[in-house]
Amino acid sequence: MANSSRKQNNQSAKSICADYLIMLIAPCVMAFVYYGARSLLVLASAVFPAIITDALAGIVLRKKIYIRDLSAIFTGAVIALMMPSGVPLYIPAFASIFAIGVAKAPFGSSTKAPFVPAAAGFAFASVCFKEQVFSYTVGTRDAVFGSTSLGSMLMKGSSVHVGTANIFDIVIGNTAGPMGTGCILLMAACAVYLLIRRPKALLSSAGFIVACILMVVLFPRVPSSMKSNVIPELCSGSLMFAAVFLITDPSTLPRKNLNKIIYGAVCGIICMSMRHMGAYEETVCFAVLLTNALRPVFDSAIEKMPSIAKKSPRKEVTE
Amino acid sequence: MKGNLSFREALKKGAVIYNPVLVQLVGLCPVVAASTTFQQAAMLSAAMCIELIATCVIASALLKNLPRWIRVPVYFLIGLAFVCPALYYFETYSLSSMSLGLKIYLPLTAINSVVAVHCEQFAVKNSVKNAFLDAVASGIGVSAIFLITGAVREILGKATFAGVSINLPVTLKGMALPFGCIILLGYLAALLNSVTAKTYPHTEESEETTETENEAITETEAEVTVIQKTEAEPETVTVQATEEKSVDDIIESATADLDEFLRSLGIDIPAEEDSAQ
Repeated sequence: MANSSRKQNNQSAKSICADYLIMLIAPCVMAFVYYGARSLLVLASAVFPAIITDALAGIVLRKKIYIRDLSAIFTGAVIALMMPSGVPLYIPAFASIFAIGVAKAPFGSSTKAPFVPAAAGFAFASVCFKEQVFSYTVGTRDAVFGSTSLGSMLMKGSSVHVGTANIFDIVIGNTAGPMGTGCILLMAACAVYLLIRRPKALLSSAGFIVACILMVVLFPRVPSSMKSNVIPELCSGSLMFAAVFLITDPSTLPRKNLNKIIYGAVCGIICMSMRHMGAYEETVCFAVLLTNALRPVFDSAIEKMPSIAKKSPRKEVTE
Repeated sequence: MKGNLSFREALKKGAVIYNPVLVQLVGLCPVVAASTTFQQAAMLSAAMCIELIATCVIASALLKNLPRWIRVPVYFLIGLAFVCPALYYFETYSLSSMSLGLKIYLPLTAINSVVAVHCEQFAVKNSVKNAFLDAVASGIGVSAIFLITGAVREILGKATFAGVSINLPVTLKGMALPFGCIILLGYLAALLNSVTAKTYPHTEESEETTETENEAITETEAEVTVIQKTEAEPETVTVQATEEKSVDDIIESATADLDEFLRSLGIDIPAEEDSAQ
């Protein structure tokens, strides 16, 4: 029984990762179109160390190596796509090694990891190599704002004029930023695929995006119109990419649908709060990790709340 | 523990099987926050060892019959008596730059949970010799973790070792931050766990009583006040017991322990003094 359930878990993990890898093809192609062969180098420098670390961890821990579950490839690809194209190649490699070696392997498999490994890897790279990870000067897209990313402009409080001339460039990711996360149209297409394959996972994304928009409306970073705040905030950094690929990670999602929405909303509030007060241009990975740490609260405390609400009228009746 | 403890046995239990930092999870704050370089870790571990040994010996010799509620503050006062001269020494002998690097954590060793836990759970329940050996072994265990984390964090985070630069192509700034130390401690704990499981496979079966004591130790670490709550005996029982004993009895038991300890160190005590006491 145990073996059969393990096999089922591995197969389900494999099918989930396969779905996500199919979705990742589109951002990878977009990155290649924008940045050429350099994007493939960054992808390779993140994916291969992730696979090697996964295999080494299996040997050290004397466990069966589950490279076939594709989670190492997924983690490496996500980390690479969140990096700028001009990043030194050792940085995605270190981020992938950290993601697999610290956030995944010690917990057994990708289905048991309490944190999203890719978010942990990118957060580690952000802390250790802040200048390189948020530098978009080499091989950048300079169609709209030169080598200045939307995130850094918003961080400095600079007004971002969103007009008919540049809105299309912003939406398709033709601005300085991470390699494969800027194209919002592609993210929407990936979300549609996810809606068909795993609709419940998108509940957390919905909660996340609604919370982000509400936070932007309530606390705008730039003294400008609502449109000039909401669109750049949603298109900057890896916000939409994380909404599709990181927050929907099934191993870290709460069980019930309502909890998934609350989980996403809390992640959005934390993310936007950190954008306001944090020292980093991109904060969504830190928000995802913090929300991952709060997952037991969503699974236990929130589930108990309705039962408490139901029990209290009974007490009144008995009294 | 009523019998005499050998140094090897004390080292096995105090430094390896029940390592204060990696197994009992006490004293984590100074390790995580202050051991960013090898030199700081060495200074902190030296201060902690001196204080731990001195406080445990004094607690075992003199504080056994004090009521429990007053013992913990007394440990801290004894710790301060040793830490203040150490601070003065560091300032006098031009080590102020290093001691300043440790910020508040060097003075805070005086009220460290490692000292409180070992005094309360072991020293006051055992002879002076056993308390001394336990304190030395625990001090070695704590110092080893301090030095390992300090060295690894300095090498990886700053590309230096003991202030000497090392030519590393890449430095990981995150390792110098607290989260890097926590991850490192996790790996060290896993390593120690596997080593202990291989080297001492029957420890858990043969030492059930010690394990229950250890569980109580981890509970007491969180807050000093928890010590009183987690103990099985009510506080009043201890107070009554101390009231029944006379001052002479207390002095006699304390001096007997001290004599035993001095004899174990090879120091001869004249028979007249024994008879007089």
